[in-house]
Amino acid sequence: MTAVLEVNNVTKMFGKFQALNGVKFKLNKGEVLGFIGPNGAGKSTTIRILLGMLKADFGNAKIFGKDVWTDAVDIHKRIAYVPGDVNLWPNLTGGEVIDLFLSMRGVKVNKQRKENLMKRFEFDPTKKCRAYSKGNRQKVALISAFAADADLYILDEPTSGLDPLQERVFQECVQEVKEKGASVLLSSHILSEVERLCDQVAIIRQGSIVEAGSLEDLRHLTRIQINLRTREEASKLVEQDWVHDLTYENGTYIFQLDADHMDDLIRFIQPHGVVKLESAPAKLEDLFMRHYETTEGGV
Amino acid sequence: MAMHAHAQTGRLFRFLLKKEWLKLTIWLIGSLFFVFIGVFAFTEVYGDAAERQAMAIAMSNPAMEALFGRAIGLDNYTVGAMYSHTMTVMALSLFALLSILLVVRNTRAEEEDGILEMLRALPTGRLSHTISALLYLVLTNVLITVLSTALIFSIGDPSMTFEGALLTGMIYGTAGLFFGAVALLMAQLSSNGRGAMMLSFGILGVSYMLRIIGDSGTEVLSWISPLGLLYGTEPFVNNYWWPVLVALGITALIVILALYLQHRRDIGAGLLPEKAGKRHASALLKTTIGFALRLLKTPLIVWLIALLMLGVSYGSVINDVEGMLANNEIIEQIIMSNPDLNIVDQFISMIIGVLSIAATIPALQALLRLKGEEKKNRTEKIITGNRSRIKILGVFLGISLVTSIVMQLAQLVAFGGAMLAMDADLSFGSLFESGIAYLPAMWVMIGGAVVLIGWLPKFTGLIWAYLGFAFTVLYFADLFDMPEWLTGISPYYHIPEIPTDEWSWTVTLLSTGLAIVLAIVGLIGYQRRDING
Repeated sequence: MTAVLEVNNVTKMFGKFQALNGVKFKLNKGEVLGFIGPNGAGKSTTIRILLGMLKADFGNAKIFGKDVWTDAVDIHKRIAYVPGDVNLWPNLTGGEVIDLFLSMRGVKVNKQRKENLMKRFEFDPTKKCRAYSKGNRQKVALISAFAADADLYILDEPTSGLDPLQERVFQECVQEVKEKGASVLLSSHILSEVERLCDQVAIIRQGSIVEAGSLEDLRHLTRIQINLRTREEASKLVEQDWVHDLTYENGTYIFQLDADHMDDLIRFIQPHGVVKLESAPAKLEDLFMRHYETTEGGV
Repeated sequence: MAMHAHAQTGRLFRFLLKKEWLKLTIWLIGSLFFVFIGVFAFTEVYGDAAERQAMAIAMSNPAMEALFGRAIGLDNYTVGAMYSHTMTVMALSLFALLSILLVVRNTRAEEEDGILEMLRALPTGRLSHTISALLYLVLTNVLITVLSTALIFSIGDPSMTFEGALLTGMIYGTAGLFFGAVALLMAQLSSNGRGAMMLSFGILGVSYMLRIIGDSGTEVLSWISPLGLLYGTEPFVNNYWWPVLVALGITALIVILALYLQHRRDIGAGLLPEKAGKRHASALLKTTIGFALRLLKTPLIVWLIALLMLGVSYGSVINDVEGMLANNEIIEQIIMSNPDLNIVDQFISMIIGVLSIAATIPALQALLRLKGEEKKNRTEKIITGNRSRIKILGVFLGISLVTSIVMQLAQLVAFGGAMLAMDADLSFGSLFESGIAYLPAMWVMIGGAVVLIGWLPKFTGLIWAYLGFAFTVLYFADLFDMPEWLTGISPYYHIPEIPTDEWSWTVTLLSTGLAIVLAIVGLIGYQRRDING
């Protein structure tokens, strides 16, 4: 697989504050990467470096094999960007701004496709931008991004002002571009959205990537919730170091299992006569929370 | 990399014109109207050479020079010379202001709003946005140059030669370019539009003051000031071209420096450091007054300093006015023939009028901040709290009134203090009386602004037009022979010019009463109307 986007040990200081410390991840062609992390972790800083607006102090980042700082203009011809906080010129209409953005990307605009998107997002392009709510301003950026093909979409919390219906439209759009073979970098706080759309996840905390990989792989790193009922008591479970937070209620054991010890669990419980075994896959949220909660000593 | 620095500048520039054309048109019409009024009034009112020569004598004292600029072409005070002498500094300041606003609005302000970020994410060069703003600056000032030249040459009298008209147009455009370039540089230093604007206005203010001090004595200061330098071209009198070339050269250097800084720096970053803020709100900040004062703190302090300096500048030239009196037989004769007309007193009351209008600006600004908050959807957060509308507008009104008093007294102290330091012979009492007499007029302006906020929130800008008109009346009423009904619209016009005139309780009470009525009407409107954010 060819890497569309590669970030190698990027470090960025703002004065004495270290915003990014050796950030490293990559995104392959046709993949969607969920870029998640708490506020202030460095998501937007990373994205701005990728867009060639901030200059990395150390390390380098490449998009399409080109340097993001020196070849910004060439790179930008093939990408579409949606920021989380969209501000527009108050005295122009949404339709005018969309056309401007598209014309500057230098791509051919399929008018039908643009109209179609406006309809799907229920967007009225004839109003002046000063009259738009946050969600509507965001739609301007989203429609400009999806109305023409790009090889890489960089989306920085793109749905923060959308209602649930339009968020679904957004998710469809991401699926569609993915099917066309484009790559997407999606920074988001909506974990269900990331879970549904992304193949890969990179978690950033305090300026460093703390976890990166496919969602599948990450799930293996985390814990699975198990509900277990056995004919005989299995009180020795509590002594196993791959069992966490064990409770016993009405004859059912409820606990967290380290994902890579499923085999051990099966072997352990088999002699006790299994009546019921339910397992729930790890949610991204659990994974995320585990990283967020271990901030002791930080900040 | 540099190759791509200006990619798609053309497209951005065309787009910039699309969003700015209306503003540009209005500014151009306003500016040309200003030029037109000047030329037209002088050709109409001062058609007679003897009259002009009399004016030349009245103008050739340090006080008038401090106001208008060094007297030029006195031996043959043609309409052209008169126009150059009296209008140039004002016009240069106006065009400088226009260009500062234009540049900040199209560079740092858009960067601050996040608009630049979206444009830079498109295949545009790192400097494209800035260069398109620069092109717009150039276009605007070329238009100002060409149109001013054409206007002056076509309606001026024979003394207004083509060369002089062209030079006048050139210095207007050059002033715009210079201060536009300064604003671009300041936009690199400060990380926000407001800061860039304040720094640029600061430099314009310093240029103005350097010129005042320079023109009333230390001549070298005038040449350091960009305003003084361009004034030194003396269009229609000597037509010196070299100051234009010097100014354009410096402008080019400033632009190169600004572009270099822009190309190097991160988006959103400023070169001046910002310090960390407080963790908790103080007890004062939690009160409505404390909150409002906090919003207004910086502009009020800046204004206080600016007005103090203005007061000191004018006060320090007072001795030259007296010196002039002692030596100049002609002026002495004027005074002999009309013992009521004392040049020093006239100068003082004129200056106090100018200072009073200047002090009205921060007072109005303090009040209109409430409208600004509404525009940014922030008043709703205050009003949905436990504070009533009346209380909020009342607090801003109170601060505005206190501002008018404090600013007025402060600059009177500065003005009087500087005069005393110069061993000038003056009565502090009558000086204060003169300044305080203007307060009711300032309050009428504030009352007018309250009415606009209460009833016509979309048109609060009109109060600036009204203040501008009042300034025109004060500055030019005598010069242009304005009719009484017109000048009477300005509240400042009715104020007695102490010490030349007597204190009038009628004017004081009527003006104050009018101000109170306006304020109450405005408060009622604010109580009833929709809050838009």
